[in-house]
Amino acid sequence: MQRSFARRGVASVIILALAACGGCRGRQHAHVLKQNDANMVGSHVAGAETYKPLIEESVAKLLGREAESAGIQPAGLNGQVGCKRICFVGVENRSVEEIGDFKEQIYEIIDSHISESGIFQSVSKRFVDAALMETRLRPDQLFLPNNRRMFAAALEEVGQPFDYLLFAKITSGTTGSNGDYQRDYLLTLELVNIQTGDNDKESATLRKGYHKSALGKFKHYGL
Amino acid sequence: MGITNAEVPNDEGMTKHEARRLGKVKLCPCLPAMCSLRHSAFVILSSFVISHSSFLCTGCATHADHLRDIRSAYFAGDLDRAEKLIDVELGKRRGDAGVLKLERAMIELCAGRPASAERLLREVRDEFDHLEQRDVAEETVSMLTDDQRRAYAGEDYEKVLVRAFLSLANLMTDGQDAAAYGLQVAAKQQEIIQAGCVDSDDNPKLAYQRVAVGAYINAMLHEASHSNYDDAERAILQVAEWQPDFRFKADDFERVRYGRHSEPGNGVLYVFALVGRGPYKEEAVEVPTSAALLVADRILSVTGKHTLPPTIAPIKVPRVVRGSSRSEIPVFVDNDPEPRGKMETITDIGKIAVQQAEAVAPQVLGRAIARRVVKKGAIYATKEAVNRGSNPLAEFGLDVIGVAWEATESADTRCWGMLPDTIQVLRIELPVGEHRVSFPSGWNSIAGIPTFCGEKIEISDGRNTYVLACFPDSRLVGRILVSQP
Repeated sequence: MQRSFARRGVASVIILALAACGGCRGRQHAHVLKQNDANMVGSHVAGAETYKPLIEESVAKLLGREAESAGIQPAGLNGQVGCKRICFVGVENRSVEEIGDFKEQIYEIIDSHISESGIFQSVSKRFVDAALMETRLRPDQLFLPNNRRMFAAALEEVGQPFDYLLFAKITSGTTGSNGDYQRDYLLTLELVNIQTGDNDKESATLRKGYHKSALGKFKHYGL
Repeated sequence: MGITNAEVPNDEGMTKHEARRLGKVKLCPCLPAMCSLRHSAFVILSSFVISHSSFLCTGCATHADHLRDIRSAYFAGDLDRAEKLIDVELGKRRGDAGVLKLERAMIELCAGRPASAERLLREVRDEFDHLEQRDVAEETVSMLTDDQRRAYAGEDYEKVLVRAFLSLANLMTDGQDAAAYGLQVAAKQQEIIQAGCVDSDDNPKLAYQRVAVGAYINAMLHEASHSNYDDAERAILQVAEWQPDFRFKADDFERVRYGRHSEPGNGVLYVFALVGRGPYKEEAVEVPTSAALLVADRILSVTGKHTLPPTIAPIKVPRVVRGSSRSEIPVFVDNDPEPRGKMETITDIGKIAVQQAEAVAPQVLGRAIARRVVKKGAIYATKEAVNRGSNPLAEFGLDVIGVAWEATESADTRCWGMLPDTIQVLRIELPVGEHRVSFPSGWNSIAGIPTFCGEKIEISDGRNTYVLACFPDSRLVGRILVSQP
């Protein structure tokens, strides 16, 4: 019995030591998602599952309202009567999270939606960036009338007049509970009329719960 | 409690086991095959240990030994020789190609071939990502030999720095991917820290100091866009948190929060320098642990049925050693006799490497002890299998094999050995046009004045220009790289 026990003990030690290091090394794989495949849900921060609905909702609201309202006399260019010229300055991230490579994509999606709407015609981002560099103005300084005029003049000089400035801003609010937390994401689109200074805001919100365990969802939000 | 056949007393009142020890029982004649198997086990183990010992004894030089000449050549500025030595090693040690490619990439970067350096670094990044997964066969072999048998997946700080150097190398070419690599620096750090708590709640990697150069590059690029000041501000706050003694953090924050990239008619020069000799690993002996293990195996040998191989060969573990450091380098612009400023450390690689090694030292030591336990256990099991307890000579022979087996272990000293001790940076706003940037590089003993090395640069309105130089000691190694993506 003693010998058997010793054998088993030694064998166990070896097996345990090897098992502790267990696992297999595999190659990374990838697949192309279908149109109707759901987005992956970010476990620690927001991702496509958050930003895409926010963009869709806020842009739809903004375009819907603008379509109903009687617009100002558009700046017009090359006979494109009826289209308001819009200068999308950029996306400002004031949330608690880094959005990393999503920022450029958020800009592009919003810009594409606006351009495709038929209500607005957008100024190319390359012109916008060049004008910001030329004037050395920060996006947040464009709310001052003098700065706005200077910026508009810089774009007019290169044949890109515009009627509106558009700003996008992402903010967040966090509520914590015993290690789990809920984060509310808000995307706000702010349209500023450069002639009058009037502004129009639309926003979309999305709430997301982050939990330490799979049961966290049921604990805080029920079945 | 049950009783096995071996414990049933025979006619003389002895168990078979006792009788066998006294030589008063014959082995069962119907089990010649079993005896043969036991003998085979003994022969296989002996052959494995002996062949492995001879293999290791003939080539037991560690990576640290191989690296010594390469580092010397590189730090002396002899890039050609360093390159040749690495190529020789690459030919001989294909299993360590990843870590050797890192050294090669440093040479490429300093020699003024950043695109080639970027390609190599990208290969290593992908290889390390693959190798950081566990492989049971490799782990088993490493338990029976040593950690050098495992494919090298890089230390945590190396995995992060690969991405930081990718960003720097890309800045010196077209700069198109520099921001992406910069983001990868932060993402990899986060991934490493999160992975540190898989096995327990106590995560030693939470104490890791972060590599701030990636965040700094991101801040620099966001600011140069003239529109992403919010991201620049966020990145500078990360820099301030991750490299708290970075002297320019307050100025940088003030500028990205309230100011602007540069005055009209000006551009910005960023000077990066790879300064000092970086950390490396050497083999260290864990004396207290070895002594404790020796005492433990002696106790077990006295109380157990068989002896265990004594822990004569000490337990060896890698130890990260800081290389030589150098103070901040002054930067001169045009013919101004006064320096325009002194560079500031944005990432203290030596400190980070030592700190990370200390954080995971218990795990490294734990693996070394587990290996010894496995080896001693294997010898013990062999003694049981061949049942040589009655033969002190065989018992002694197996102990000798065990000691020899343990003595073949070497610490895994593989590391990225050509890293600098620090990465330093200086931001200078300059008027548009051509300038010359220079650094002190040695001392003219005849004239009694410092010598300088420099390079012409072009500053464009509202844009960044980048300079990268390598100063392992007081002299420049390789070329000064200039880029305006």
